[in-house]
Amino acid sequence: MFVRAENITVTLGRREILHSVQFEARAGELSAIVGPNGSGKTTLLKAITGEVAYSGGVTINGADTKTARPEALATTRAVLPQATTLAFPFNVLEVVRLGLTAGVATGDPRDAATLPQQALARVGLAGFEGRFYAELSGGEKQRVQLARVLVQIWKPVLDGSPRWLFLDEPVSSLDIAHQLMVMRLAADYARDGGGVVAVMHDLNLTAMFAQQVTLIESGRIVATGAPSDVLTDVNLSLAYGCALTMNKAPADGTPWLLPQAARLTEAAE
Amino acid sequence: MALASIDTDASGPRQTGDRRALARAVTFGLTIVLVLSMLFSLGWGAASDTRVIAALFGFEGVSLRDTTIVWDIRMPRVLTGVLVGAALAVSGAVMQGLFRNPLADPGLVGVSAGAGFGAVVAIVLGGAAPLWFQATLGYYMVPLAAFFGGWLTTILLYIVATRNGRTSVATMLLAGIALGALTGAMTGILTYYATDDELRDLTFWGLGSVAGANWSKFWSSAPLIALCLIVAPFMARSLNALALGEAAAAHMGIHVQKMKNIAILTVAGSVGAAVAVTGGIGFVGIVVPHLLRLVQGPDHRRLLVNCALLGAVMLLLADAISRTVIAPAEMPIGIITAIIGGPFFLWILIRNRSLVDL
Repeated sequence: MFVRAENITVTLGRREILHSVQFEARAGELSAIVGPNGSGKTTLLKAITGEVAYSGGVTINGADTKTARPEALATTRAVLPQATTLAFPFNVLEVVRLGLTAGVATGDPRDAATLPQQALARVGLAGFEGRFYAELSGGEKQRVQLARVLVQIWKPVLDGSPRWLFLDEPVSSLDIAHQLMVMRLAADYARDGGGVVAVMHDLNLTAMFAQQVTLIESGRIVATGAPSDVLTDVNLSLAYGCALTMNKAPADGTPWLLPQAARLTEAAE
Repeated sequence: MALASIDTDASGPRQTGDRRALARAVTFGLTIVLVLSMLFSLGWGAASDTRVIAALFGFEGVSLRDTTIVWDIRMPRVLTGVLVGAALAVSGAVMQGLFRNPLADPGLVGVSAGAGFGAVVAIVLGGAAPLWFQATLGYYMVPLAAFFGGWLTTILLYIVATRNGRTSVATMLLAGIALGALTGAMTGILTYYATDDELRDLTFWGLGSVAGANWSKFWSSAPLIALCLIVAPFMARSLNALALGEAAAAHMGIHVQKMKNIAILTVAGSVGAAVAVTGGIGFVGIVVPHLLRLVQGPDHRRLLVNCALLGAVMLLLADAISRTVIAPAEMPIGIITAIIGGPFFLWILIRNRSLVDL
């Protein structure tokens, strides 16, 4: 099963942000979209989730998202935005419970009472149920939202078809321990048969956890494929506009990058 | 009350942070308070409490005078107060949910401004209408003009804010301010032409009152308000999801545009009908939802029901006061809701500043 986006062109105002982009993600994998600021990463994700108007076609598990009913889509995919502000004094439990809006994700209504707490435990926020959302730190808010999104599509596979998790910079405001926690959670979701599409800034975490990486720059795909094939000196230096040197971990060949190395090569030029 | 409660969640054992039981208790308490307020309102003044109850249940030995006072004078007034209070409070909560702004009120969709303008036109220019027209509409000319004024402005605003089938809530808010200023100016022009008597009518209409309520007025507005109150709780789930933003609500399976259409129609309908009967009554739509959110949380599934109950209670009490302070004359109820509501609201804001700042 796939998420497929074909010939996606997005125009915001008078500027064309994405130019006929092709993207494909497989269930059972964590697919990362990386690229410099303003390259169109988030816009691509928003086109796939139907948040911005686009020309082209998007299918999730073979179903066209433009004609699918919102209720049906809500049970096959969930979307974590970059940041969410709330207008009213909801507490954490109430926010996470909003994930039940489209129904109970396990198919068993009795789970409605326990799912929100299980989700909070998975993002490391057990015991936060009664806290006010507005009083949390940025990283805590992001994890509360992740818990809400998890509640919406709790099981990676339901009735034989995979469910999809779309994450827009899921670790951007988290500390290192919680970055690892959230990335492992996403990787587990993919390992158990679900699909994960994540917009990422951190190239090291991307290399560690993603099975597929799509590098995007100025609204065009530079490269797509396995991390070790995409995250190369040439590709990254071209996309990010500064000389970057990738290294490989001796044990498993995972690429990694030190910003110090980038500065050195720049100075050497 | 006509409001159905919808609880889709299976109720398990109580958890930390679960405010649903609290909200249910608030519903229960407010229902009792509402019934007591209604009885109190029916009995306020000449007929004593025991005689009111006797008249209500048609016991023997009740004088015709008491029966008439209770059934023909006070009952329509009390029921009008209940419906109008519920309509204003629920509409306020729905608007705040839709605009994702705790300061929104029904006035923002242009209903109040439009209704006010309609009323002013009827009061000032009504005398120039053909006699047959005046004779047919009679007493109902002002309420009818107010109702249509409210609806027309709302529809106009809606058209301005909708492009390619998507209604921009922000545009609607800004256009509402522009249109409000415009109708305000036109109202101002008309007041120049108004006679002294008409000016007095205008002022009193703007302050609101349920004193003119009778059965035929009640029945002219009750069906529309009741319909809107029945529809409102079905929006609760969508309004909850909308608190996360329109995109997130859509991702959770909410038909956002359909929901907006229903919400705007509901508010325009119930507020238009309410304002037509009682004139402009401020503050209920902001104070009541706010107060309840602080007590029981912002979950709309209970909030809307409780808003209806508390709105009704607040209007009944304000009406009781308005009948008493300068008896035998009556003070417009809008003055009472503002005198009590204003300072009370300030006090709540000061006490709960951390919850209000988001």
